[in-house]
Amino acid sequence: MSKKLLSLLSLLVVFATLLAACGSPAAPTAAPSGGGDTAPAQPAGKVTLRVLVHQNPPMVAFMEEFNKKFQEKHPNIVVDMSVVNANDLSTVSQTRLSANDIDVLDIFGFSNAAQPYMKQVDPPNWQQLIEAGLLMDLTGQDFLKYYDESALKDAGSYNGKVYAVNLGRVSYSGIYYNKKLFEQYNLKVPTTWSELVTACETFKAAGIPCMTAGGKDGWPIFVGAYGLIGSMYPDQAALVEGLWTGKIKWNDEKSLEMWQKMQVYARDMMEEGASGIAGDAAPGRFASGAVAMFPGGTWYAPAIEAAQPDFDWGYIPFPGSDNPEDNKYLFGKYDQGWAIAANTPNKEAALLYLAEFSDPANYQAFVNAVGFIPTQPTAQLNTKIGAEVAPYLANFRVGYEQYWVAPKGAGQFANPWASYFKPFGTDDDPKALADKVQADLQAGLDAVNK
Amino acid sequence: MSYHFGRGWSKLIPYLLLLPGLLFYFLIALGPSIATAFYSFTDATGIKGAPVHWIGFENYREFLFMGRASVDNLEALKRTLIFSVAVTFIQFGLGLFVALIVNQNLKGSNIFRTIYFMPVILGVVIQGLMWSLFLYPLGGPAAKLLSLLGLRSEFLGGPPAQAFAWVIFIQIWANMGITMMIFLAGLQTIPSELYEAARIDGANTWQLFANVTWPLLTPSVNTNLLLNIIGSLQAWQLFLVLVGYRNGTQVLGYLIYATGFGQTSGSVTSSFRQGYAAAASIVLFLLVLVIGMTVQYYLQRREARILG
Repeated sequence: MSKKLLSLLSLLVVFATLLAACGSPAAPTAAPSGGGDTAPAQPAGKVTLRVLVHQNPPMVAFMEEFNKKFQEKHPNIVVDMSVVNANDLSTVSQTRLSANDIDVLDIFGFSNAAQPYMKQVDPPNWQQLIEAGLLMDLTGQDFLKYYDESALKDAGSYNGKVYAVNLGRVSYSGIYYNKKLFEQYNLKVPTTWSELVTACETFKAAGIPCMTAGGKDGWPIFVGAYGLIGSMYPDQAALVEGLWTGKIKWNDEKSLEMWQKMQVYARDMMEEGASGIAGDAAPGRFASGAVAMFPGGTWYAPAIEAAQPDFDWGYIPFPGSDNPEDNKYLFGKYDQGWAIAANTPNKEAALLYLAEFSDPANYQAFVNAVGFIPTQPTAQLNTKIGAEVAPYLANFRVGYEQYWVAPKGAGQFANPWASYFKPFGTDDDPKALADKVQADLQAGLDAVNK
Repeated sequence: MSYHFGRGWSKLIPYLLLLPGLLFYFLIALGPSIATAFYSFTDATGIKGAPVHWIGFENYREFLFMGRASVDNLEALKRTLIFSVAVTFIQFGLGLFVALIVNQNLKGSNIFRTIYFMPVILGVVIQGLMWSLFLYPLGGPAAKLLSLLGLRSEFLGGPPAQAFAWVIFIQIWANMGITMMIFLAGLQTIPSELYEAARIDGANTWQLFANVTWPLLTPSVNTNLLLNIIGSLQAWQLFLVLVGYRNGTQVLGYLIYATGFGQTSGSVTSSFRQGYAAAASIVLFLLVLVIGMTVQYYLQRREARILG
């Protein structure tokens, strides 16, 4: 090969590389913002609709079935659904939205918004996504008419525009209990803290673990005790404001009682080995009848029923106080919702997907499958968990963690988590832990107030 | 061997041939590193389209000096060093020991080499899953063994120090195979005549190791030490898979990941803080650079002294 030819070839390789490096795919046209009631149109050609959901077995099972029917009805649309762990949902959403690699995404109810009394806090991720123009404005879409206005406003709106359709509320401050075991040991379903302690002592004496949780995932251990915080501080928004303004401290007398009870919860009530149980496996363990109680969210109900359809269980608010009046609340959050990527090239198909999902018949089937407290006024939670929570729905309140934003500079212990106690953590002195938690919080408050 | 490309434009050919590789390196490695350094001085969120503001050293101030969180960060830094020292020395020692054993003319030594190397090819998720099942506190194999002695443990879900120790153990189990293979490759380059000559001179087993094997293994020792140090300082995936984001177990690498992707507060709506995570990455980079360069300097001097 001549030297000239070699030179030419080298130059070609260099230019090809440069072109490959510098080139970028054409940016898709941004979807126009919503406005006026509109029904979605059919997409023109063959479309692959990319959908992202978080791992929740009954919900995923429902979605697979729904997708099948949706594709049968719209043969020109293929649904490509990805499932990620709930902990990774925000990360994957961010990266796939930034890469323009998603059309429809599952997004949790909007919460943790910065309040006027909070200083130097960063906006929550949903707000960051909206402000970056990555979520489509759904205002005026026809299917919104099926949903509660309050749910649209509280869980999916920002600056007066709707960016997400929330699909249901869940409670996480209740306890599932095994009715047969309670009857067998002549125990009253606990409505006070003392009754709960007595029940646990009875079960433990009989060699039956009192409570279980999916501790492998971390948060299920402490979320179970959020009801305990609720019975102490029923107004959770006021609790957050009090902590930020210094009116409430995690080591004051009232909070100290909460820590003492949390220690009993972690040390004496939770079964040994709970830290190794995966979140998905915990409902099955409870349904097996091996443990008497399971503090957890209403979203676990379908999994319990699927594991043991004949298993007889009930659901009560966590009785954290000795005054039954303090224990009548269910705390929770707005759970899953749908949003659409603003830059989706498949806008029609995405809107069609949400419209189809929002059809009251489909939504009712969804609620039945996942056990969410509905956000469509015509839907009914006519499932077992629906009947169990019905007496408490008037007392449903948004929980602490939906309001809480930690000040920058706060230490890693600035949270009311029962998992700090042994055997899951290292602490075994409630007073010392309360002081540590408050000191970690105070360090952040001092830093941002400087 | 060298090629001659003649005169004029032809002289540029070697450089032009290098250019694609260099561009690739800039795009994949150096570019992102420079971008990380830049972003560490901004409030970038990592979200496409979000505004980015220059905030100077604010991220560094927050990471190193702001409130109790900075003390926690320094704790994570300390934990990273403990992890690195423990992993480096134990993995190094074990890898050398196993390499010496499987280098003997033993029956089935190839099978042992394969078994010891196998964890390396499994990948972090499989490694994590295997050990999570083995250490399952409700009736897993390890729990059953302990129960025979009348003991019990929460293993990975127990006190942070215990969980941390398990991750060290699993990290060593997962990577010891590489260390062993590098030593094995080194051992096989040592001429057998040297051992024969030393034996004729009356050297015992220890003297053979100390005066023949160890000096001639110097290149493998250097490679292994550097790989172990850098790998363990940057390790975080096993922490994610085995214990998640738990107080008292985070190392700097995991802290960076969790901060960058909004997973530090236990809330699913945490904010994305890529600028802050970039600042933490630069701190880790500087740590790796200082330790790596110091060790490299010492090892090069040692190599020159021993091998000339």
